[in-house]
Amino acid sequence: MDPAEVEFLAEKEMVKIIPNFSLDKIYLIGGDLGPFNPGLPVEVPVWLALNLKQRQKCRIVPPEWMDTDKLEEIREQERKLETFTPIPSPYYMELTKLLLNHAADNIPKADEIRTLVKDIWDTRVAKLRLSADSFISQQEAHAQLDNLTLMEINTTRSFLLDSLNYMYKLRSNLQPGRSKDY
Amino acid sequence: MDALSYLSVPPGIGMEENFFSLDDILLSHERLPCRTESAFPRLGFLEKSSDSRDIPEGTKMEMPLWLAKGLYEKKRRVLSMELPKVYREGWRTVFGADPAVVDLQKMGPYYYGLGSQMLHFDSPENPEIANTILQTFIGRFRRTMDSSQNAYNEDTSALVERLDCLERSLFKSGQSGLNSFQLWEKGRSSHLTASSLVINYRKRKITDLQA
Repeated sequence: MDPAEVEFLAEKEMVKIIPNFSLDKIYLIGGDLGPFNPGLPVEVPVWLALNLKQRQKCRIVPPEWMDTDKLEEIREQERKLETFTPIPSPYYMELTKLLLNHAADNIPKADEIRTLVKDIWDTRVAKLRLSADSFISQQEAHAQLDNLTLMEINTTRSFLLDSLNYMYKLRSNLQPGRSKDY
Repeated sequence: MDALSYLSVPPGIGMEENFFSLDDILLSHERLPCRTESAFPRLGFLEKSSDSRDIPEGTKMEMPLWLAKGLYEKKRRVLSMELPKVYREGWRTVFGADPAVVDLQKMGPYYYGLGSQMLHFDSPENPEIANTILQTFIGRFRRTMDSSQNAYNEDTSALVERLDCLERSLFKSGQSGLNSFQLWEKGRSSHLTASSLVINYRKRKITDLQA
């Protein structure tokens, strides 16, 4: 899976915007949106919010978790615990990147938020690698990891699967008795 | 996404080899020391050191893996195989002590593959060999993972030179995961580029033809 595909899936999340135009309710296949009235907040999916923002037709309201204090709390908890803490949104990395790239003016303390999210990401990926290493070195057959997001899984997927394949090959050497079929 | 112009076949599972896998084909060229148990008449040209017309019984010579595997049979004693140095007792203790330090590229670039193939020639040390190979892989895994996931945009030749072929393909997949994530983060993943095939073939452009 590409990171771009994960980003595409993340764009389905809902975010609040404040439009500056008015439009009646629109009926899309995925659901109904609107009605849009200038100055009144409305919930739309991220893909629409970004499009409207680029055309300067709205103002994006940052989600509640995108706040320096909350993120600092999450970061501290992430560093203390050995397991993964539950995070407020399963697509935090993608949403941060999208919203901060396109709507940085609507989000207070954008740079700090970027740094905090990067810290949280680094801590979580380090924990993931540690757990992958212990999984392989103790040759366990089963591991359970809660609260992982798709993006994190995606970065290690190909490497972990390949190494587990090789380990399986080497382990099948330990059981001889395969017939030679030439 | 990288698209290869051919389908690459991975090496085989365990003691089996994949017929079409390039890695397995190259690996079966490795020469192994062996001892002939019966005479080979008129095949003296195979053995470089002696000048006789046929190979007498009990000669020590080197044979490539593909030939040795074909000739080896438990009942009709044609050949008896000796283990190469790397799989013997002495080196096994070295691997047991600290697998991460060993230069596997020098020990024969197909350490794991060849080790799996050696198990075909039933030697009494087979279980230990299989165990050593597995433990070596596990010991070196951490290093491979860390180096592949953290080396972005650097010259990786120093990291890769001590790895054997199996570990190199692992390293490559770790690097590709890292690179695609970093590319996405910079925002360049939806950047359209011309396909490498088109650039290499130097397709004639209509603007050049008309000029």
